[in-house]
Amino acid sequence: MDFSLQTDPPEIAPFRKEVRAWLQENMRGSEHLRWSASWSTRENDEEYRFRRNLAGKLGKKGWLFPMFPVEYGGAGLTFDHQLVLETELDRYGISLNHVFYTLARIVAPVILKWGSEEQKREFLPPMVRGEVSVWQVLTEPQGGSDVANCQTKAIRDGDHYMVTGQKVMVGHHLPPDFLWTLVCTNPSGSRHENLGWLHIPANLPGITIQHMHLMMGIKNVVFFDGVRLPAKYLVGGENNGWRVAHTHLELEHGGEGRVGADPLVERVVEYCREMKVDGKPLIEETNVRDIIADMMIELHAVNLFARRNFWHRFVREPHPYGGAQFRYYQRMVRLRNGERLQQIMGCDALDPDHTVHEVVDFEYVVRSGPGQFHGGGTLDTDRLIFARRVGLGRPTKEKAPETI
Amino acid sequence: MDLQLTETQNMFKKVASDFVRAEAPSHVLTQWFLKRETSQIDLYRKAAGLGWSGMVIPEQYGGAAASFTDCAVVFEELGRGPLPGPFFSSGVLGAQLVLEGAAEEQKKSLLPAICSGKSIVVAAITDKGAHWGPESVETRLTRTSGGLVLDGAKRFVFDAEAATHFICAARTESGGIALVLVDRGTPGVSITPQVGYLASVAEVHFDRVQVAGANLLGEIGAGWRILDAALEKAMPILCAYQVGACQEIFDFTAEYTRTRVVFGQPIGRFQRVQDHCVDLSIHLDAARYVTYETLWRLDSGQPAAASSHEAKAVASEAYYQVCNFAHMVFAGPGTDYQHPLMAHSVMAHTLYQYLGTPLQHKRKMMDALYPRANA
Repeated sequence: MDFSLQTDPPEIAPFRKEVRAWLQENMRGSEHLRWSASWSTRENDEEYRFRRNLAGKLGKKGWLFPMFPVEYGGAGLTFDHQLVLETELDRYGISLNHVFYTLARIVAPVILKWGSEEQKREFLPPMVRGEVSVWQVLTEPQGGSDVANCQTKAIRDGDHYMVTGQKVMVGHHLPPDFLWTLVCTNPSGSRHENLGWLHIPANLPGITIQHMHLMMGIKNVVFFDGVRLPAKYLVGGENNGWRVAHTHLELEHGGEGRVGADPLVERVVEYCREMKVDGKPLIEETNVRDIIADMMIELHAVNLFARRNFWHRFVREPHPYGGAQFRYYQRMVRLRNGERLQQIMGCDALDPDHTVHEVVDFEYVVRSGPGQFHGGGTLDTDRLIFARRVGLGRPTKEKAPETI
Repeated sequence: MDLQLTETQNMFKKVASDFVRAEAPSHVLTQWFLKRETSQIDLYRKAAGLGWSGMVIPEQYGGAAASFTDCAVVFEELGRGPLPGPFFSSGVLGAQLVLEGAAEEQKKSLLPAICSGKSIVVAAITDKGAHWGPESVETRLTRTSGGLVLDGAKRFVFDAEAATHFICAARTESGGIALVLVDRGTPGVSITPQVGYLASVAEVHFDRVQVAGANLLGEIGAGWRILDAALEKAMPILCAYQVGACQEIFDFTAEYTRTRVVFGQPIGRFQRVQDHCVDLSIHLDAARYVTYETLWRLDSGQPAAASSHEAKAVASEAYYQVCNFAHMVFAGPGTDYQHPLMAHSVMAHTLYQYLGTPLQHKRKMMDALYPRANA
């Protein structure tokens, strides 16, 4: 086995040099920015503009989706190149998945798998080049986990769909260019056979977006009020939305994997070296060291699970239960870490520090602990998926959908 | 990055898996645990014939010069049993101690016999059941007119009953720690099995045992450094054994959720039962990936001290917790000594303590990463 992320094959080494130099050049001017997490509570417009601009520049080189075919906006490069880009961006606290707020990282692979040739040629290049922001809009007011039971309807009317309904808890504080969503296309059809997947331009008449103020920041309600949508925006075919959803949800539910590690422990250690109680740094206290050890070990396991899933994804052998297992565990670890931070640093853990990256801002970690239980399905959906994939109490095991 | 086994490793895995199934089917193995016949010397020697003792030892000393990961793949299968016997204690730790600490002549005479299984050389480290640090080495080594004399009692000596020799950590007059090789048959050596929720563990008494100067491993005072160096490399192999055990438990527990029917449906349809399996899998996979990452560090020559302690903490905790979650699923039938889960539970508790508890290893991990100011 080889767990290395940065021992590049000889032919890749020049690429790392190139990427590192390029980033040095293009990250200039961002030194004063206060980086925010993917679902941010900081809502910093200047930072957003910088990130979106950076995504555009990366996209122009095909580096946002390095392994995507060139004709769809990618760079046609290899897994090793992708690793280089992931790890080099990680040095700045940014991941390839979240250069700026867009769900392209999931939407683009799903279109690549399910879109028609025409759709791929039209929808993919601007998304892959980072020119547009796409929101995933799945949750509805009457329920989130049961996505197949969606009430938003899209009824075929000639060469259009009439879309009516409401999605909630989606997006972030600045508006999207596209809405990527599951709708009911056949109200009299049977469950799972009555759905369609739509890629909706967000500027169509009849779409209204309103902010919601949530624990972890701004999300939105999206109203569709008789929106006339050209039929070419249906992805994956008539009443085939559930199969498209499989691919989408597998990626969203942990199957996409990640190579970057959560830098929280380093920040905690730094704090504990500086903070002295009775003249003695906290890091010298045995009970503090014990708590840090538990944080470190659990975060390390989370990171290894994510790396495993990443590897399985790109060798095209999806891990049977890895996505759901990772998601459940990561969220429980985050919750525990919130409590651990409070044990170590007392009320400092509830005081925001805007001088550091949001993901290592203790207040954000504490507050977002329970806040991230529901995004992309609950803890209980994770465990339900796990049970089906392992075949608990069942003669057969559900297969992990293939992703791209 | 490449997270799969090589072709050779898959072959090792297959051979080891077949061996465990043929030699220790669960109805046989459970009896060994019930009757406390866990030394299994003949079985161990048979396995040594396949090259599984001293696997990572260089060929010039009779070893197989395998990588740590190769060796771990075999131990994962042994752990599935859980196959008892001095596979780790002599074949890995004993051999590694000699390799790290012994003089060239000693290596030439000791290692081939360890690798062939003829000699079973087991470390006797701690004098206190509750601690495994250097401060717990109390057995004394004193110089008399007639030579060296070893005096004391070692607790928690794993596989002591199977041993032909002990490597005993002893406190010298100068306060340092020395490692001494002692033949089991030497007058004054006696072995008392520790009977309890343990497998293969005994107290070894050294009652004014005469030791020749030639039996010192390494210099007087270098004992703990040698032990640390050997443990750093050996422990991840023990972790792999624990990972294999966890995998086996996961597999048979998942199967039980399909076949056990209550309230008119297989128990695996109950979400509460599913929850136990999810938690079980997390411990299993955390142990698996932390262990294999550590093995990769060792094989690629990177510093591995902190990783090795981390792996021991995670894998021991995992084996323990995995057993507990499996007991939640199996309920009554899982507490029958005829069920393999009982053999695993006994072994999990033993290995939780052996070489130090998870908390002790977490502290060592922290000390390796963030040394204390006054250290």
